[in-house]
Amino acid sequence: MRIQVRRTGGFGGLDHHREVNTAGRPDAAEWHTLAEDAVAQGRRSPPIGVPDGFTYQITVDGRTVYCADPRLTEPQRRLISRVLKEGA
Amino acid sequence: MTANRPGFEPVFCTIVPPHLLDRLARSGDPQLSAAARRTLVADAAQRTARRLTTVVGAPSVAPPKDAAPDKPHRTIHDAKHKQELPGKKVRGEGDKPGKDATVNRAYAGLGATFELFLKAFARNSIDGAGLPLVATVHFGDDYGNAFWNGEQMVFGDGDGEIFLDFTIPVDVIGHELAHGVTQYTANFSYFGQPGALNESMSDVFGSLIKQYTLGQSAEQADWLIGAGLLAPRVTGKALRSMKEPGSAYDDDVLGKDPQPATMDGYVRTGRDNGGVHINSGIPNHAFYLVAEALGGNAWERAGQIWYDTLTAGGLAVDASFEDFAKASVAAAASRYGEGEEHQAVVKAWSQVGVASA
Repeated sequence: MRIQVRRTGGFGGLDHHREVNTAGRPDAAEWHTLAEDAVAQGRRSPPIGVPDGFTYQITVDGRTVYCADPRLTEPQRRLISRVLKEGA
Repeated sequence: MTANRPGFEPVFCTIVPPHLLDRLARSGDPQLSAAARRTLVADAAQRTARRLTTVVGAPSVAPPKDAAPDKPHRTIHDAKHKQELPGKKVRGEGDKPGKDATVNRAYAGLGATFELFLKAFARNSIDGAGLPLVATVHFGDDYGNAFWNGEQMVFGDGDGEIFLDFTIPVDVIGHELAHGVTQYTANFSYFGQPGALNESMSDVFGSLIKQYTLGQSAEQADWLIGAGLLAPRVTGKALRSMKEPGSAYDDDVLGKDPQPATMDGYVRTGRDNGGVHINSGIPNHAFYLVAEALGGNAWERAGQIWYDTLTAGGLAVDASFEDFAKASVAAAASRYGEGEEHQAVVKAWSQVGVASA
């Protein structure tokens, strides 16, 4: 599974992009559950969000959803945080 | 919602597209707006009450009973690196400074912002009616951002790699609070040109708060947004420059500051809500040009004209740069007549390529 996170907006208006490929990872099953939950709760179009808030685009195996701070669901928050930290 | 008659509560079904609900929620008809608000609230999976506050304005929180009309009512909370708001209260109005420098900076920054709006523009807090000022610090883990959520300010500690603590620059604190002022006045929607105007208002008043605090004239000011916010390894002086948009940073990781100074460089993009932090460079630079032309303290004449334009009530939520430019020319003439102030405003918009007549 290929999980991509693109973060835009924020005070600086800067783009940040990371992705994780779960193939061959020992924790792949955990990633899959998290990614599926996060995508299930996402929106199909970008929310406008709050002033200076980050907007996130999550793409899992070609399927893209959007969400924005400060209203992320817990799976979205965990997935975004892990991909931005551990992704390449 | 309290304006609604009991027993009559229209609710729109969710087939109404969100952007239309946003418009309806701002409707002057209380029954329409209340129904739209209820639908938006009910559609909780995608849209939330917090989101609503940025669209239709936050419900007012009453100031304390013993509140003095010319004093701020500040509360600082600590999220303790979680993302739940508002977090634990750590400092209230009149409390002595504690050991946490971030808390103390946020408290002082709210005070500085309150003071500029009161002294320069006779505005009592961000809603003009003594609204208590609430901020949360230490939001999230290595969180590299600050934002206004419709009700309060939220500050992260920065990731340490690119950003330091977001309470360091007073103009960043002022920027977030100014989003509140815009929300309670022109309420520019946060996308495209009105979104860039919303951002520009926050940069203008954020910079004025810094200049007022430091007692700097237009000539002495650095006109930077976020000076001191970038980590030492980043090649850059700040996040934005109102004096020279596009010159704030040029870094291996961050890339180059993408802000245009004039309409020739206007950036069309779907990212960043349609480039709200990018194209804000154009109205930012127009304000700088007015302040530079008039000289002296920028919060006096230039700031007054911009404040009048923002608060006069003649601009739509989806105002364009041209709409704002025309309104600012009218505001200058209305307050100062057709003298040098008026001329400076006309010239500044012409220099950035925005029609103002």
